[in-house]
Amino acid sequence: MNSDSFDLEAEKQAVAPDAPESPSRREFLETTGATVAASTVVSFATPAMAQSTDAAAPRTAISVSVNGVRHEIDVEDRWTLAELLRDAIGLTGTKIGCDRSECGACTVLMNGAPVYSCSQLAVWADGAEIRTVEGLARNGELTPLQQAFVDNNAPQCGFCTSGQLMSATALLAANPSPSADEARAALVGNLCRCSNYNAIVEAVVAAGEGGAA
Amino acid sequence: MTQPTRIGLEPLETIGNDTPRIDAVERVTGAAQFTRDVKLPGMVYARVLRSPHPHARIVSIDVSAAMSLPGVLDVITHETSPIVWGSGCVSGGRQYNDPIKDATIHRRYIFNNPVRCVGDSVAAVAATDRNIAEAALDLIEVEYEELPFVLEPEEALADDAPRIWPEGNMCPDTRNRFEPMTSRIGDVEAGFAEADRIFEQRYETGFVHNAQMEPRCALATWEGDKLTLYTPSQGISNCRHDTARDLGLQDHQVRIIAQYMGGGFGNKNQNQDADLIAAELSRRVDRPVMLEYTRRDDWLGVHGRWPTVQEYRVGVKDDGTVTAMQMRGYSGMGPYRKNSGGISGMDYYACPNRLREIYPVYTNRTTSGNFRAPSDPHGVYGVESIMDDIAYEMGIDPVDFALRNMRRPTEEMQFTNYSLEEVITTGAEQFDWQARRRVQPGSDEGPLKRGAGFSFMMFRAGLGTSSAVVRVDSQGQYTLYVGVTDIGPGAKTTMGMIAAEALGVPLSRVEVVWGDTDRTPYSVGESGSRTTIMTGYAVVQAAENLKQQIADRGMPDGADVLIGTATPVPNTDGLIRQCFAAHFVEVEVDTSMGTTRVLKYTAVHESGRIINPTTARDQIRGAAIQGIGQALHEDLLYDPRNGQPLSPGYYRGRHLTHLDIPDIDVTFIETDDGYGPFGAKTAGESGIILAPAAVANAVANATGRRMRSLPITRDKILQEVSA
Repeated sequence: MNSDSFDLEAEKQAVAPDAPESPSRREFLETTGATVAASTVVSFATPAMAQSTDAAAPRTAISVSVNGVRHEIDVEDRWTLAELLRDAIGLTGTKIGCDRSECGACTVLMNGAPVYSCSQLAVWADGAEIRTVEGLARNGELTPLQQAFVDNNAPQCGFCTSGQLMSATALLAANPSPSADEARAALVGNLCRCSNYNAIVEAVVAAGEGGAA
Repeated sequence: MTQPTRIGLEPLETIGNDTPRIDAVERVTGAAQFTRDVKLPGMVYARVLRSPHPHARIVSIDVSAAMSLPGVLDVITHETSPIVWGSGCVSGGRQYNDPIKDATIHRRYIFNNPVRCVGDSVAAVAATDRNIAEAALDLIEVEYEELPFVLEPEEALADDAPRIWPEGNMCPDTRNRFEPMTSRIGDVEAGFAEADRIFEQRYETGFVHNAQMEPRCALATWEGDKLTLYTPSQGISNCRHDTARDLGLQDHQVRIIAQYMGGGFGNKNQNQDADLIAAELSRRVDRPVMLEYTRRDDWLGVHGRWPTVQEYRVGVKDDGTVTAMQMRGYSGMGPYRKNSGGISGMDYYACPNRLREIYPVYTNRTTSGNFRAPSDPHGVYGVESIMDDIAYEMGIDPVDFALRNMRRPTEEMQFTNYSLEEVITTGAEQFDWQARRRVQPGSDEGPLKRGAGFSFMMFRAGLGTSSAVVRVDSQGQYTLYVGVTDIGPGAKTTMGMIAAEALGVPLSRVEVVWGDTDRTPYSVGESGSRTTIMTGYAVVQAAENLKQQIADRGMPDGADVLIGTATPVPNTDGLIRQCFAAHFVEVEVDTSMGTTRVLKYTAVHESGRIINPTTARDQIRGAAIQGIGQALHEDLLYDPRNGQPLSPGYYRGRHLTHLDIPDIDVTFIETDDGYGPFGAKTAGESGIILAPAAVANAVANATGRRMRSLPITRDKILQEVSA
């Protein structure tokens, strides 16, 4: 984990569901969408959505909070965080574009900081708070950032969108009204081959307090 | 948000109004399900083993160790699965022509022997876990006999070059003859005799990978003798037909499902070997098989834009009139001919004497194929580079040179409408061309030098056949069935808007069903900028059909529904239908560092009536930015000593990031020529065609040096300015 350059207070805000002043876990679950609510706080010994697994592979028990839901789970030591999220927990909104830290499609927030989940081992997430794109909207209500993405046509094909949203969520937590240049700098690790960069930056700026949204 | 400037037409009820995508919420919440997100009960995973050699004969493959790894279910190779991938190599590059696919002399299989490039597929593993499948690849023992290889097209044509195919390295044409693609108009020698000055130059362009964010994948499952393929396809109807043919099935035995997909830009046309490999493995192991390509698999195992060499000769009179144009080009197709290898751009000129010969050549690099406007950006770079140099050499403003020499309507060749002059003059004014260009190229003092460049184009907007079905129930809810996939441009929304307009109802009353061959009629596919104009026109006609039924019989009652259908065969009455554009670019080149920054970018397009200005704008902005990447960054470099690719991937390909991106200003000059759906023309590909030429001309204007190969990287600039 490498989050030492990130403002810790901002991280707390970015993962509001688990911050002390946020609603209880039960309240959170009751107000979130079906995807999260269905995956109640359980140990995933044989998770329903998991890929068939390798009984011989070394495993480690971890405890990880994903979008406010705590998962006690045995993970294969070789799993990436992206594999844990997509295959074991069933949150496929996080995309794998390169699986080698080049494109940023798999960006999630780990303790508030954007990380490439393809390049984090699942075991490193032990004790961490993870937030994915599925954890942005509450009860079907989009965040201002998501709404700005809709209004500004920020997704074209949509494959990089989750990663762009997570990097921008971290940016807005640290800087509520970013300029276009600040948005570009914060999102530099998120490629868009549709090259819809103009619209993405316009959406991030619009979502900020100084934006038009 | 930044809206495009629009000139010429007022919005209709629905069409012409900025409209959020009807599936935008799914795209921003993670709910949109892409192929790799689909999980079926009992599903297993597959991986492909690829050749480490640029050219080698496989002497033997031993899969016993891989098969004995717990969890491995099957390993297939060229010995177990000799399946021809019909659209993987087609004589003449005629990817949509069935008879030519059948007659193609150079057959590409899903696993080939010999292997002909690094990344050619050798074997595939199915296992209960993707990590097991990957581990099993290391246990497959392949004995290779390495063969000599050749990477450069001109070298590949030498008599003593290593032969990639028995007949040599020229790609066969549609009749399996080994001739260059030749286009001859007028008498080029007479044209040169008429010229006062003759200019010659040679240009090279690199391989540009489509590099769509979603790597190729395919999920296959069988029920009896019916195959269902979840696969990211830019043309589900073509994908179904190709897959059925390759597997010896009838079309109705194959169902293609392509819901959300992560881009393609021509990389996901038709069917792919991944579809066939997944289907073959699934048939053998009797379980659903998800084949996932890694990023490297996708880079080396699918395709990108063909690299070219272009040698021009142009004759000009002292008054600036072009009298003759000649080009000899070489296109490196890799070891399989997936597409034409075309190099266009000369056809934008009225010059009556033109000769173009293009040699599509096999090499031991990775395969070349369609990338957004497959024949155009590299060709326009070459043509406009020499024309720009001629203009400055003769002391003529390049815009005036274009206006003097560009193609215009003639008695014999009439257009449905013609806006080329208007897009150029509008762009020049908006961009402030006279103020930004350097009359004397490279005249800025000091290492930071600014300059401006421009380019212009026309691109096909002809009509063709597609199908649509629209249904209405007794509650007045309309359902539109179209076989489109929404690869990124917003086809679902566009089709819904066209239907709403044609039906005279709000968009909210139209549900769009798409991306599934068992639920939708034929559609032409998301390639060739055809969806809006062809399937869109079918939507209009299906709506008219339904409205006529409603007029005749009234709205349906109870459980009854009315269904309108159409498969129109439209034409343009013998007129040429084109879209038009001009792009203007200002750059700043740091001649001490070799870096280039785009400061200003103005794109003016006439694409007929614009259906959804927001998504149309972003087609142009995104395409222009892709073109800037082609101009300045992207290439797939090879080590000439061992034939190994050196830069597969985003990082080594130096793909543009947020920090490299200028604001792209887009203007649409809107017209309705009376053809197509409400006068809409093509847009998706047109935006990428002009950026490489315009950027290269701006760099030449800034530095006073002509960069003769793409991409214009730092090393090339430093070499030129220090020469």
